[in-house]
Amino acid sequence: MSRNQSLTSNVDWGLLIVFFLMLGMGVANVYSVAYNEDHPNFFDFSQKYGKQILWIGFSLFLGIVVFLIDSDIYRKFAIPIYLFCIGMLVLVLFMPAVNGAHAWLGFGSLGIQPAEFAKIGTAIALGRYINSLNVNQQNVKTVILANIILLGPMVLILMQPDAGSFVVFTSFLFVMYREGLTYDPIVLKLVNLIPGIKFKSTWVGSHFIPILFAVVFLSLVTLLMSNNVLTFEFWPGLEIPGFYGVLISLFLLALISYLILRWVSSKRDRNKVTVIVLIGFIMAAGISTTVNIGFQGLAIHQKERIELFLGMREDPNGDDYNRNRAMAAVGSGGLTGKGYKNASLASVESNHVPESETDFIFCPLAEEWGFVGSLVIMFLFMFMLIRIITIAERQKSRFNRVYAYSVAMIIFYHFAINIGMNIGFAPVIGIPLPFFSYGGSSMMSFSVMMFILIKLDSQRNDVLS
Amino acid sequence: MNTDARRYVILIFFLVIGVIYSIRLFYMQVVDESWTLRAQEIAEKRHVVVPPRGIVKDRNGKKIVINKTYYNLMMCEKDIKHLDTVAFAKLIGWTPEKVKYRFKEIYYEEGFDKNPKTKRRNVPRYQKMRKYAFVKEMTTEEMAEIAPYLGNFPGFFEEITSMRSYPYANAANILGYVSEVNGQEVEEDRFYRSGDNIGRAGLERFYETDLRGRKGVHYIVTSAMNNAIEPYANGKYDTTAKQGPVLNLSVDIDLQAYGESLMVNKRGCIVAIEPSSGEILAMVSAPTFDPNLFVGKRATSQNYPRLLLDKDKPLYPRPLQAEYPPGSIFKLLQSVIALQEGAITINTGFPCNKSLVGCHNHPNAGNIMEAVQMSCNPYYYQAVRRIIQGGRKKGLYADAEEGLRIWSQYMQSFGLGHKLDTDIPGIRGGLIPNPNYYDNEFPSKKRPYGHHQWAFSTIRSISIGQGEVKVTPLQMANIAALIANRGWFYTPHFVKSIGRQGPKPIYKKKNYTMVKSQHFDPVIEGMRRVVNEGGGTARRARLEDIIVCGKTGTAQNPQGEDHSVFIAFAPMNNPKIAISVYVENAGAGGQWAAPIASLMIEKYLKNKISDPEKEKRILEANLMNVVKKGK
Repeated sequence: MSRNQSLTSNVDWGLLIVFFLMLGMGVANVYSVAYNEDHPNFFDFSQKYGKQILWIGFSLFLGIVVFLIDSDIYRKFAIPIYLFCIGMLVLVLFMPAVNGAHAWLGFGSLGIQPAEFAKIGTAIALGRYINSLNVNQQNVKTVILANIILLGPMVLILMQPDAGSFVVFTSFLFVMYREGLTYDPIVLKLVNLIPGIKFKSTWVGSHFIPILFAVVFLSLVTLLMSNNVLTFEFWPGLEIPGFYGVLISLFLLALISYLILRWVSSKRDRNKVTVIVLIGFIMAAGISTTVNIGFQGLAIHQKERIELFLGMREDPNGDDYNRNRAMAAVGSGGLTGKGYKNASLASVESNHVPESETDFIFCPLAEEWGFVGSLVIMFLFMFMLIRIITIAERQKSRFNRVYAYSVAMIIFYHFAINIGMNIGFAPVIGIPLPFFSYGGSSMMSFSVMMFILIKLDSQRNDVLS
Repeated sequence: MNTDARRYVILIFFLVIGVIYSIRLFYMQVVDESWTLRAQEIAEKRHVVVPPRGIVKDRNGKKIVINKTYYNLMMCEKDIKHLDTVAFAKLIGWTPEKVKYRFKEIYYEEGFDKNPKTKRRNVPRYQKMRKYAFVKEMTTEEMAEIAPYLGNFPGFFEEITSMRSYPYANAANILGYVSEVNGQEVEEDRFYRSGDNIGRAGLERFYETDLRGRKGVHYIVTSAMNNAIEPYANGKYDTTAKQGPVLNLSVDIDLQAYGESLMVNKRGCIVAIEPSSGEILAMVSAPTFDPNLFVGKRATSQNYPRLLLDKDKPLYPRPLQAEYPPGSIFKLLQSVIALQEGAITINTGFPCNKSLVGCHNHPNAGNIMEAVQMSCNPYYYQAVRRIIQGGRKKGLYADAEEGLRIWSQYMQSFGLGHKLDTDIPGIRGGLIPNPNYYDNEFPSKKRPYGHHQWAFSTIRSISIGQGEVKVTPLQMANIAALIANRGWFYTPHFVKSIGRQGPKPIYKKKNYTMVKSQHFDPVIEGMRRVVNEGGGTARRARLEDIIVCGKTGTAQNPQGEDHSVFIAFAPMNNPKIAISVYVENAGAGGQWAAPIASLMIEKYLKNKISDPEKEKRILEANLMNVVKKGK
């Protein structure tokens, strides 16, 4: 280890800059949403924007602390950290319920949500465990052990109950997938029970997680779009049923990805690419059609149940109410938006979109900055995610890589679900948009998560294991 | 197993989701506008601001119609929660039953729309989330009493409104009144919404489109709690409400008020016109009423039926609609026509042959001036016979037909026999018979005289303004004005200017009669003598230092005492006022109509009365019960 290096050497400035950019945009957005004319001061700590600044300040302080600590301790103290998180999750169950969930530890506005920090603890624990394995040590035992690490906090979170965080924990399955720790051994065992069959691996088992994700996402989108009719402002009279819209989109997507893949892949792989894209498209279209036909074939009361669960029904007090209004806010943004502090639906004062400063924080962004602003957010997140994957892949330590992938997947899940529910592509489950949503726990946990990553990355050359 | 390639699976996941979301956002935000409409539906409210009506000023700039602030107690059913009907009824001073009834009343008042499927009118227009006036037209004091307690009754709130107010309590027949629009009017004109006011009569109705002003529309961003937050798009799409322009009348409200006081306890009317402009200075209809009786729905519903059933018909706009026989004042027009047609000259004389037509005792008229002065009936019988039977055609009947045709054209050119374009609704045109009238309509449409079945002798009574001829008091005043002008007139009108615009173009156009101006001078000389010389019939109209020219008339009334008529203008040279006075059942014109006219003239020109005795006699006279001929 070379102790001569300064603290800032090897820091990934690109990631850090995007991180700060998001923090700045986030707090500016909270200021706009929660703006109170009687308290115009940005630093008025009685207001949400003032508090958010306090949270950011505290998060940055934690970040500096993280920077000063040698990154080695996370691997060394992985188990105590994980157990501490578990302990907090147990403790929180005994706290009084807020909005029906035992999610808050502490008093009033000073509370924290242990579930947010449990993600870090789980990532570290998972890293530590996978790090301890040999590269190809994928068997039933290791897979189940890794799953137990996840299941601990997941069960406790479900007991709160907090469906959003629960779903987010499935993001670790992608990390395991990357590390070759899939459900394949279990699938293999079951398949090989059939006499005469002796596979070494199954394709479905290996790629179970991403396939599952894709199927679930596609099914959800198909269901959510099934009752919609697409209209086009520039072509009045043109109406496309939602399901055909999904199919057309799939086709276009396949076409675009085919062209891109053809362009990037070598001559040798071109036929392979064509086949993969074709199979992918046929399968996706098949799934979508199956889901749609199956859904339409359901009895009315069953349909209603699913619609209610997904928040598709007109229930003025239910989730659809929120989703419908959130979508109206997003959709009314137009190309360039209504202007800063001009959200007519998504501002806290107007209260048409509930939780617009936390779970629906994307609404005011999209309403005030329009498609241009939304696209900027998309690019920032895409940049951040790709940057983190790039960082992950340059790690020498498997622990670091698992941790980096965990961070990427957690942020991706939050991003995909949170924005998805703003645009009608995901059911309404309350999880914050990283760095944008108002709230101390998510701000601190995501910041600490990010700083640990940057610290680990900056010391990637020190690690010998 | 090498799993490095799996990074691309994850990366592709990121990118695919990013691209799908971006496309979806592009569709939602840029392509599809239904979300924008939905957002408007959720968060925007159209708030219509009804401006106060334009005010009305008299010719001296005195405000005669103004707006006064009132309050409506509004209700919005959506916001009403657990209404304690008894407590609420107590607060507004109603019975609980009335409160319950009022809810139903509002529901049904809104009416129903046709159901497009069943074609039945059963779709209520009433909407729970719209506001309706629960109690209308509360004064500031009334509202101040209940306002502090309204907080206990969510869904009820006050709203400011304005209603007409008439500081002078005069000129009701000119100004008209306003009241709430009915369902049909709402359907016909998209400007109106239920609860709006519309001009119902008089100038309020005629100038409705000016007075009502321009409604303002504010688009407001509202919160989920329905509170207004801010103007939508900083008011980019808002329009400001604009009060209607000031209506500057030609009426002199003091003269109008004086005229109304003179006509107390009399039936009849006074119309005064400024000849040089056609501006109406006063138009009194007696008996009259206080226009403030028709302010607001509550007052109107109390007073309107009462006034409507009054046997003296105070709501009847006599100056515009009463078609009286003009009587002897018609002789002035016969004189100028006869002169113009060459039927007579200034110095033509006729004997007062009472076998032709009855007359009072007076010396024979040796010229036209004397004929006017003495109002000799046989003179005009003979003069008009020369007009009608002018020898233009062969045969008695054909000649009479041609003569009457020409005569009626003259009369039309004096603004008779048709409606004047005066700026007030409900005007009538009177009647000037023409050949067609006797051929097809008189004495009845079923049994008219018929073509070439009549001659002057048949229709002779028109020569002295009796019989078929009908003239409104407004037209009589206009006769006085056109004689004062020596042969032309501006259409009488009430409005000098609308805001900063001048009068309507038609009131700037001189109407020339068919008679040359020189023929008026001898008639005017005769009119001077009527008032100012011995033997004149209107000596009571004489004024010390103003030369009044006038002509009395006595319109025969088969039902009772004759009507007293007088038209006049003054001063003789450069006339400032032309006037007609009509007093029903008041006997000869010189008795009552002439002194009233002179008082009006003096009041207008001098603003003081030189002969208090004359004024006292008029003010104290009660001619209401004189119906039968008192002998």
